[in-house]
Amino acid sequence: MMLVPVTYKGGIYQHDIITDLIEDLGGYIVQKHIIASEVVLQCFVPKEDIELIRRIGKPLFGEVTDSPLVGTEIAVVSMSLEIHHLPHPSCDIAEYVRRIGAKSNMVSLARGPGKRIAGLNDEERDVINEHDLAVFLLGNFETCIEYKIPKLRRGIDVPVILCGGPDEAALRRITDPPFDGYVGGVGRFMRRTKEAEQLEKLDEIIRVITGVVEKKREAIAKDPLSVSPARLMDLIREKVPAILEVTSPTPLTVQMRGLRVKLPFDTFAETLKKMEIEDGITLGDVAEVLPSRMRDYILVKILPFSETNMVV
Amino acid sequence: MAALEYFEVECPEPLGAEYYRQIANDVLLDHNLLKVVEKLHIWIDPKVPVFVAVGTLRRITTLVRVRDFVNVNPLEGKMTLVISDETYMAPMLKIFWEKFGKDHVEQPDRFTVMLYDVKADPREIEEIVVADPSESLFRDLIYALRCIAPEGFRLRKEKFDKTKFSFVASENTLAEDIDALVAEKFALIGVKP
Repeated sequence: MMLVPVTYKGGIYQHDIITDLIEDLGGYIVQKHIIASEVVLQCFVPKEDIELIRRIGKPLFGEVTDSPLVGTEIAVVSMSLEIHHLPHPSCDIAEYVRRIGAKSNMVSLARGPGKRIAGLNDEERDVINEHDLAVFLLGNFETCIEYKIPKLRRGIDVPVILCGGPDEAALRRITDPPFDGYVGGVGRFMRRTKEAEQLEKLDEIIRVITGVVEKKREAIAKDPLSVSPARLMDLIREKVPAILEVTSPTPLTVQMRGLRVKLPFDTFAETLKKMEIEDGITLGDVAEVLPSRMRDYILVKILPFSETNMVV
Repeated sequence: MAALEYFEVECPEPLGAEYYRQIANDVLLDHNLLKVVEKLHIWIDPKVPVFVAVGTLRRITTLVRVRDFVNVNPLEGKMTLVISDETYMAPMLKIFWEKFGKDHVEQPDRFTVMLYDVKADPREIEEIVVADPSESLFRDLIYALRCIAPEGFRLRKEKFDKTKFSFVASENTLAEDIDALVAEKFALIGVKP
């Protein structure tokens, strides 16, 4: 059974029919938002059952769309929290990525701006590395990007997409080794992205991110994970009731290779490790439970089949 | 950018200059400074790095009076003031409280102010000066230029007088001969520093 990421949007009336259907089909709901009288479900569903969900959702004004970024956590790395970089373009991009299913976090660097003075500290590096991929938003000058990028990428081992004012060819020329994706013409600007030309740029960023995510999914498929992150999310929700009391919008954030569990590490790490998945196999057998650098959250890194020799 | 008589952004990187032209335009527009700045020349060299902005200012003589945003309707024993723009509401109320006392001033809703038992002539009230925009001009202008300049450029030198201004920023210590560069840029807009 192949699960594909989709978004379901429909009326709130009788939407539990859809949630039950997705669960019965063996799918997982990653995020559920209720906005006024509309419900948005970001979920993984079996590929062959999409038509069935569409058919059943039709009388409830439901729409099913592809959302390739569902189940990914993306870091939008902004150079600072000053008016120079926020809310445009950092928030515009973070919000746009969110619309198609990704969980985006904004990471603002303490010493990001400038040329000579720019740098990245260990906490920022670790937080970025906890994500599936990072989108670096740089400024308008080729000279500055060329000078500062070696310092900013040091220690980052997740795929990086570089956005900057110079065109794509220039960005490629000044960065060595190359990044996983480039989007030129998106540097610092002080206006809201609402014109067609600017929205086209945002779509380009999405295209590049989707390409990188698909490549990563292909790599994971070659050595599959011991347990699917979405399944693990469902199990934690069922077996660790404390998670239901967390007020964060996404108490369990699904990533491509793991999960972020928004519970304190010291109190819950052992409980999680001992949680049984199936037939006596515990979470500790198939995943690493690590402290996250983001607050005191827990980071669950699922091990691949090649390391555990089992798939549950 | 029709309101500026002269507006140029100079940079060794043509694309960077284009982006900064757009940023400067947006920031001045957002801060309502297009009517105040007459000429503006920006020079950015990311290699040094240095940011220089020089320009001239228009004279602002207009004072904001009550009549500019209020309609005064006198009735027996009271006056109803209908507000069309709330921007200067707070300073106006403050002046009324000082002049007539809080007992005589009432604000039943956002766009209405009532004056009770006020002996002043309605015309006299219309002529009251509420604000002088030139007071906060320099503060606004410095803030706007800080927004335009690249963020890392935190070492600054600003000079302002009633007719012209210069703003220099860099992330390194400013060169001793920076005034010569400023003078050179002033010459481009036909002004003696």
